[in-house]
Amino acid sequence: MDNGMDNMLDMYLFETNSLLEQLDELLIEAEKAGDFTVDDVNEIFRIMHTVKGSSAMMEFNSLMQIAHHIEDLFFFIRENGLDSLESSHKSTLFDLMFRSTDLLRAEVSKVQNNEPLSDNVDSLTEEINSFLKKISKDNKDTAPENKKTAKPAAKESVKPAAAPVAVVDLDEVRMDLAECPDDNAAYFLRIFFDEGCGMENLRAFMLISSLKESGLEFNFYPSDVETNSQSSVSIIEKGFYLALDSREAADAAISQINNMNNLRSYELIQNVRAKSAVEEKAVEAASAPVNQENTTPANTPAASTGHQMPSKQNLISVNLAKLDNLVAIVGEIVITESMVTSSPEIQNMKNLDSFLKATRQLRKLTDDLQDIVMSLRMVPVSGVFQKMNRIVRDMKQKLKKDVRLTIVGENTEVDKSIVDSIGDPIMHIVRNSMDHGIEETAEERIKAGKNPQGEIILSASHTTNEVIISIRDDGRGVNPAGVLAKAKRNGILTKPESEYTQKEILSLLLAPGFSTNETVTEFSGRGVGMDVVKKNVEAIGGTITITSELGKGMCTTLKIPLTMAIVDGMEISVGKSVFTIPIANIRQSFKVKNEEVIYDTEGNEIIRCMNQFYPIIRIHRLYNIETEVTNIEDGILVWVESGDKSYCLFVDDLLGEQQVVVKPLPVYLNSFNIKDSGISGCTILGDGNISIILDVLNLYAAAHN
Amino acid sequence: MSAESTRTAMDGADNLTDFISDATEAMERYLTFRTDNLIFGVSTNYIIEIITNHVITAMPMMPNYVKGIINLRGQIVPIIDIRLRLGKPAIEYTSTTCVIVLNVDSVFIGIIVDAVEQVLDIDYSRISSVPASNREELVSGMISMPDNKVVLLLDCETLVNNS
Repeated sequence: MDNGMDNMLDMYLFETNSLLEQLDELLIEAEKAGDFTVDDVNEIFRIMHTVKGSSAMMEFNSLMQIAHHIEDLFFFIRENGLDSLESSHKSTLFDLMFRSTDLLRAEVSKVQNNEPLSDNVDSLTEEINSFLKKISKDNKDTAPENKKTAKPAAKESVKPAAAPVAVVDLDEVRMDLAECPDDNAAYFLRIFFDEGCGMENLRAFMLISSLKESGLEFNFYPSDVETNSQSSVSIIEKGFYLALDSREAADAAISQINNMNNLRSYELIQNVRAKSAVEEKAVEAASAPVNQENTTPANTPAASTGHQMPSKQNLISVNLAKLDNLVAIVGEIVITESMVTSSPEIQNMKNLDSFLKATRQLRKLTDDLQDIVMSLRMVPVSGVFQKMNRIVRDMKQKLKKDVRLTIVGENTEVDKSIVDSIGDPIMHIVRNSMDHGIEETAEERIKAGKNPQGEIILSASHTTNEVIISIRDDGRGVNPAGVLAKAKRNGILTKPESEYTQKEILSLLLAPGFSTNETVTEFSGRGVGMDVVKKNVEAIGGTITITSELGKGMCTTLKIPLTMAIVDGMEISVGKSVFTIPIANIRQSFKVKNEEVIYDTEGNEIIRCMNQFYPIIRIHRLYNIETEVTNIEDGILVWVESGDKSYCLFVDDLLGEQQVVVKPLPVYLNSFNIKDSGISGCTILGDGNISIILDVLNLYAAAHN
Repeated sequence: MSAESTRTAMDGADNLTDFISDATEAMERYLTFRTDNLIFGVSTNYIIEIITNHVITAMPMMPNYVKGIINLRGQIVPIIDIRLRLGKPAIEYTSTTCVIVLNVDSVFIGIIVDAVEQVLDIDYSRISSVPASNREELVSGMISMPDNKVVLLLDCETLVNNS
């Protein structure tokens, strides 16, 4: 198998997409906090720098242009400190950033779909530029004021003595500083190389390039180290100077320098001359709590909330196809193992003690292997949930509703393929809640005795074999009368209105051809309704239920199997065919006598269990399979349940419980709507034969059409 | 696995001597097979293998020509009967009946045919189109052989797309 990641384009797309995702998350967080932290600014700068670089390399001009302008913008913000921005500017900045990321994303998806890129992104870049001009002008006007008001507390807490590296009194080195006259940097880092190590200028140059590689921006003196070998003389005598803008940069540089060879000593010098020009920054830097190695600047209290970079070294990205192959092979191993250990040849042998011991060991190992392999595919749902933040934010502005999104259990892990396919359904439901659920105005909410700010709670949790995702809002709730009237108008009622129970009314919301909003809005009600959501959720083996109380809100719950690759199944036989019913769907199986079977007016068979009546579906009749077992007393009934459907299947015999590896049905058969006939997949049994996996929910529908 | 005998699609190539004309760039190898006394040709580019006596697992609620699925070394392959697909009457399977497994644009499908015949090199320029008046489904072209037999070329894309 070839390595898909070898492809440069794949690599680029992967990298850029994950960077943009990171950026989006960061922006959402920052907007929530109402401010950028210094870390945020650095991070955005770094992301844009990388995007710009790789886009330029791939010759994606539009992407490069946008990234370049944002980089410029954030370079300015970084240089001038966040406090130079007025709050009105901040909201413009957030808006501008969101629009830029949208455009970047659109361009990337164009690359992905092999479409031509927009060759003109001037409108956005000009906007960024004019914004940059605006803030840089305003900044000059308001700078002195800002300095005084913004940071009085910080000034008092200046404790330069506590710095880990002694800050030498500036007067002592003033003479030395004559070498670097026109630099306004806040700090100088004076470096001496080992005596007699030779080629000081080249060593200095290597130092520069390695620091630059790690993303630091600085000037250095003597500045001609690369070309002028005479500069080594001055480096030996006076040391090599790095001019750094901030304390953080200096600390970062020091930690790098510490790892280098041939360095004799270094000292950190605070630049008093520069202080008047960039006083604010120096103060900010010096006020940092410096007794720890990884200093956090004092003005970044919000930086602690979850969007720091995870330690990347412990993660690798693997092509999903490779992982799928691995899962498939492990599945085969599990099957082969049971083939070997239950082989009929060894059933007749004696003295199998050591063999049995070995097979037990083997089974344990294969079980472990399987667990590990399955866990490899598990990813947290946080990625999907974070995207909802963005949707809520956008809709909040468009619809002028005040809503907050609360996320619970975002670290819940589910299979990668499931994460990919729940994004759209969740998005749809969240949009519905924003659009139709939450009241139009705050007054309406106050009148109803609720918090004026609406709330949508997105939560995920685990049960043994299911993930439960619920989307709850505290809005208007569903009006049953309205739903019924609408359903009647759309002609999807199947019985008189008065006979509908609350549960049935709510399930009408999920029926095809139903949409409660009269008017089509930008976000929801585009003709695809909740029935599509239902279909998507069911396609991954999940179920969807809605509960609601008028005036109190609505809750949509998705129950999705943890993984679809391996299921515990019950093998059953009908004639010569073997079917698998997922154990999760089976409630009970039992024999019945002829007289226990009840018939309805159309002659359909009904059975009573636990004081409830359930229809019987004969698989041999439904699937037209020849079998000798047609008398209900000869076969066995399997009571199954899925979603809101509960019924009994009549089969010839139970063959036993088995873990099976689900194989998707051949693509060719999908054109016959095979999913609608109650078959979800197939599996290969230990003897090489195929067993068909039944889909309990669709089987019921198939039997009633 | 049961008595599964596999032979490669190239076996028949030995029979074929007289028909190899001057090899030009527009040549393609075709496997011919017989179904209901018609001779069909299918490009060897599509062919994975030919199998016989394979256990077919029936799939319920399918059109009659979809016979079911087989387990081909861990891969699930759907099987159709080309006779029934063309609307011809079904016959009892014989010892010459076999399944040709095709891979058409990564879609795997096995077709049940009455018998396989041989492998031919066919020159593209000699393929004539099917007369419009009696256009047959699943036939993309036809070619006449020196022995006056006519080979119908199977349209594999239509076969798998199943419109």
